[in-house]
Amino acid sequence: MDPKLTEVSQLFERFKAAITRKDYDTCTQQLSQLKVMLTGFRSLPPLFEETPNSVHELTLARDIFEHAVLLSVKIEDQDAFERDFFQLKPYYTDARNRLPESPNEYMILGLNLLRLLVQNRIAEFHTELELLTSTALENPCIKHAVELEQSFMEGAYNRVLSAKQNVPNETYGYFMDLLAKTVRDEIAGCSEKAYDYLSINDARQMLLFTSDQELLEYSKEEHSEWEVKNGSVFFQKAKDSAPCKEIPSLQLINQTLSYARELERIV
Amino acid sequence: MTQDVEMKDHQTPSQSVSSSVPSTLQHLKEIASVIETGSYAKEIRRIMRAIRLTMGLRRKLTASVLSAFLNFALVPGSDVHARLSGFVPKEGEHDMEVDTATSVTQTPAKHVLPELEIYCYLLVLLFLIDQKKYNEAKDCSSASIARVKSLNRRTLDVLASRLYFYYSYSYELTGDLAEIRGNLLALHRIATLRHDELGQETLLNLLLRNYLHYNLYDQAEKLRSKAPRFEAHSNQQFCRYLFYLGKIRTIQLEYTDAKESLLQAARKAPVAAQGFRILCNKWAILVRLLLGEIPERTTFMQKGMEKALRPYFELTNAVRIGDLELFRAVAEKFAGTFSADRTNNLIVRLRHNVIRTGLRNISISYSRISLVDVAKKLRLDSANPVADAESIVAKAIRDGAIDATLDHANGWVVSKETGDIYSTTEPQLAFNSRIAFCLNMHNEAVRALRFPPNTHKEKEGAEKRRERQQQEQELAQHIAEEDDDDF
Repeated sequence: MDPKLTEVSQLFERFKAAITRKDYDTCTQQLSQLKVMLTGFRSLPPLFEETPNSVHELTLARDIFEHAVLLSVKIEDQDAFERDFFQLKPYYTDARNRLPESPNEYMILGLNLLRLLVQNRIAEFHTELELLTSTALENPCIKHAVELEQSFMEGAYNRVLSAKQNVPNETYGYFMDLLAKTVRDEIAGCSEKAYDYLSINDARQMLLFTSDQELLEYSKEEHSEWEVKNGSVFFQKAKDSAPCKEIPSLQLINQTLSYARELERIV
Repeated sequence: MTQDVEMKDHQTPSQSVSSSVPSTLQHLKEIASVIETGSYAKEIRRIMRAIRLTMGLRRKLTASVLSAFLNFALVPGSDVHARLSGFVPKEGEHDMEVDTATSVTQTPAKHVLPELEIYCYLLVLLFLIDQKKYNEAKDCSSASIARVKSLNRRTLDVLASRLYFYYSYSYELTGDLAEIRGNLLALHRIATLRHDELGQETLLNLLLRNYLHYNLYDQAEKLRSKAPRFEAHSNQQFCRYLFYLGKIRTIQLEYTDAKESLLQAARKAPVAAQGFRILCNKWAILVRLLLGEIPERTTFMQKGMEKALRPYFELTNAVRIGDLELFRAVAEKFAGTFSADRTNNLIVRLRHNVIRTGLRNISISYSRISLVDVAKKLRLDSANPVADAESIVAKAIRDGAIDATLDHANGWVVSKETGDIYSTTEPQLAFNSRIAFCLNMHNEAVRALRFPPNTHKEKEGAEKRRERQQQEQELAQHIAEEDDDDF
């Protein structure tokens, strides 16, 4: 076998061992080394040349990037996740015909969708969704992410939180925690507008705090306009100042001038 | 044109086929002469007219007519002629021997215009596609593209842009669109360098179509945002561009822009382009539903589109009523049509709108209603409908869809009084948008007016005026016909 290939495979084995040991610093070091070595192979994107070992090289490179993605979730680095995922993507799309299917493909695709959801990049979420075939959409990992997005859009936040219980894979745990935080902010925002007041118990339940103390801290930090008295939280409804009876004069002037101008043109 | 006359004498007696063939050949020769005069005088409009006439003749092309024309237009010994004749199947060539003899003697005097050459490529391509010989069409188009790349004449632009279209079309019919992406990008670069605006427009549309065919919305948007934009030269290309733009915007959740583009595309499209208009209308309906407005019944009742739009009509009904069960049933029933139109993902997004509409209806009809009843009416099928309903209503209130407050302790929704809308500035804004639209349309119409040249030169008597009016009528008819172009 090609000496370069053997070298890469050996380093990869050591990398995998380091991950299981949870030795993340060595992991990141080894990952950079691996990436540099991978540039030596001509059969990988963007060149995609046909070499005798190309299938082996492509599969190896794909495995390396998949592990890189999982590593980035473990060290909780979202930028690294994005970078590694973009490098992984051509292996799934362009090299699809040349490689056997990867068992982790759908899980990683689901993870990516979840990440976009957490970062509130809904437009990109939908663009990614369009690229998936209908068989991909049946996969539980991907279905999970899609249903999560739907519940989020509709506002059924308790469904989102209960979905945390049935994650298809434990690597999803990190993003689900982030999602829980976003959901809490959303619930707070909605409750502010929807309720005049809430008893402390109810507020605590809705916002998923375990104690009143946390609730009070949260309301002081994020929502200082809330008032807490007599065992209830009062949401400021100070927005009902009298509707402005002024005439939006600037807008009116602009509009009338444009009418006059256009009408003049119609001789 | 003496060579012309001699060849015609040889042709007509030796034609053993039906009487329509000489006239088709006659037409083709006339078109060839129009192209020649156009290229000598550098008048692009004549070449456009030539193409229009060709489209009318498309149905009548046969192999023998084509070979005869190829013999007439091209030097028979040249490899261009050999290549093109290779694509056209031979049928009964004995009478052609006489002609080849005559034309060989005249070869030194004849100089083949590049326009004629490209025109012959175009004809052969049209013929092959109509005969469903897609693989040969692919080869022919690749050869023609190679030839066009080497030539650099402005008069060729119109012919070249048609060639690009059929090139992409032949690859699409055989399912190999991804192969030519690199080529199309290179051609677009060349067209931009040569300031060939019609070519740029056509190629941009072809590239967008290529990307959208494979659902690569991200890349399509990147290309579209970076490509140079200018005044549209061709109405059909502009319509196509608007449609692709609308599709991209829909997927990116920018529904207002999408609606504008799609509706404009549907309006500007020529009446003959039935399939295109149907597709535009389908997407426009979906975008309007996603925006929360219900399209009126008349959009579904347009001539010729009723059957195709039927699934969307039922879908609109479900959304209007706000009934989740009905919505699910309709989505399942027409799942095949939706996946064929590739609008599946959009339908999934509509579920949210169904719930919103249902909520809006409830909030308008009840001044106070318990959450249990809300959950029952919306028919939310989930583990914990009341809690779900509560959060959904809270979100709807925050988004401004309904005007109400929740009472958690008692578990009910209290709707607020709807204010008097005429006391706000709402009517004025609505009027303003309509006025702006009408004025815009007026300006565009004025800009599109065309005047015949030399009208200011002489004063006319009654006779001349009548003649001029007749000419104007014909011109108007011509322009109307032009829009029915079969692209």
